[in-house]
Amino acid sequence: MRNFILFIRRFFNLILFLAVEIVCFVLMARTNTLQGDAVLSSANTVSGIVYKKREDVVYYFGLKKMNDSLMNENMRLRELLTQIKGVDTLSDTLVKRSFQTTDSTHIIRYANYIYREARVINNSVTAANNYITLNRGAADGIKRKMAVVSSTGVVGEVVNVSEHFSSVLSALNIKRKLSAKLKDGMLGSVGWEEGKPDVLILEDIPKEIKVYRNDSVFTTNYSFFPPDILIGTIQRLKVNKKNNIQTIYLKSATNFRNLQYVYVVENTMMEERRKLEDSTRSKK
Amino acid sequence: MSIYLKNFFRFCLIVLIQVLVLNKITLRWWSQPTGFPVFIPYIYPLFILLLPFETPVWLLLVLGFTLGLTMDTFMNTAGMHACATVLIAYLRTNVLNALLPKNLVEYPNQSPGVKNMGWIPFIVYGGFLILIHHAVFFTVELWNFSNISYLLIKILASSVTSLLFIITYLLLFTKQTSLRS
Repeated sequence: MRNFILFIRRFFNLILFLAVEIVCFVLMARTNTLQGDAVLSSANTVSGIVYKKREDVVYYFGLKKMNDSLMNENMRLRELLTQIKGVDTLSDTLVKRSFQTTDSTHIIRYANYIYREARVINNSVTAANNYITLNRGAADGIKRKMAVVSSTGVVGEVVNVSEHFSSVLSALNIKRKLSAKLKDGMLGSVGWEEGKPDVLILEDIPKEIKVYRNDSVFTTNYSFFPPDILIGTIQRLKVNKKNNIQTIYLKSATNFRNLQYVYVVENTMMEERRKLEDSTRSKK
Repeated sequence: MSIYLKNFFRFCLIVLIQVLVLNKITLRWWSQPTGFPVFIPYIYPLFILLLPFETPVWLLLVLGFTLGLTMDTFMNTAGMHACATVLIAYLRTNVLNALLPKNLVEYPNQSPGVKNMGWIPFIVYGGFLILIHHAVFFTVELWNFSNISYLLIKILASSVTSLLFIITYLLLFTKQTSLRS
């Protein structure tokens, strides 16, 4: 026993060092799994308040740019509105039907999306998994696993929520992939390579499919994102000679460097769908 | 000012500089859109570097862990910064012993600095620990070795940049009068 105590006293620093490092690794291991993003995050109150104070200052310098992007979005929405107004779905008579390209009364829309605007109060593009902090939290109806989009394209997924703040795993991460499609419906998945905040990577598109520069890539119905939101445009192609798989580099539609306003999208049917899918999987 | 109070204020100051200013500076050494990694300079290990000479190792470890966890909370990287910072806190005493002519106990109430170490030894001391910190941090963050040249470039480039920022900090916050004498 005495020897044991002597041993501990002699190597106390080393033992303490190893213990602390083990704590660090446990923290990392818990966080790096897909489920456990919740341990330490900038959605907590202290760091949330600090980031909010900073954002209040930085906010004024970006007002002009913000105005421009809001004008653009307004324009786009107005265009959409005129298109929708042109098709009168309620009084769908035989005469009017001839004007329509799609018979929209027969399409039942199950997915109902609720958009909530939020301001970005912290953002990074340099890490391997980048997180964004928003100034909305559980009190504003934000829940985990909601999709986040900007006025120009996809942003990420809500991974952690506190009372007034929420953490978003941005599309610039190396642990999750996004389901994506080309204009003709060809499916693939979009990932990211660390260190290049403007470039996303589209994979799983066979070589036989012809793609061209500046083709758009959209989100699909399969993910938690609402469909047909722009992910990016094709910038460069690379074909792997060995297995004939082509990697497509996309220019991301969202500029992650100066993100200021985003929309958190809630899919009200998602819970039911997830439940059904999970129960199907467990029955197998 | 008491040495505890001084170090407490330095902790707050360095954390705030890191979080509010440096985390917003995304650096890239060549400006082509793809190819070279982006990074941000880290100066927060400077707090560990500037603690007084006679700080016991266990206290260094505890402070390193606290500092690392604070950075982790701000940057959403649970444990990664803490891991790297604790390692340099542990190595600090050995590096100082190797670099200084006298024993560490013979510097009562002093902190490592440009004044009592001179520029070259301090830069060697700081540079070595920063390099280790960045190497551990980026390795842990990336967690694969498939692209080792990318990792090495990132470690080297950001260590050099961080060191430049640390030197700037020292030039700004060292008392000029005592430096001249």
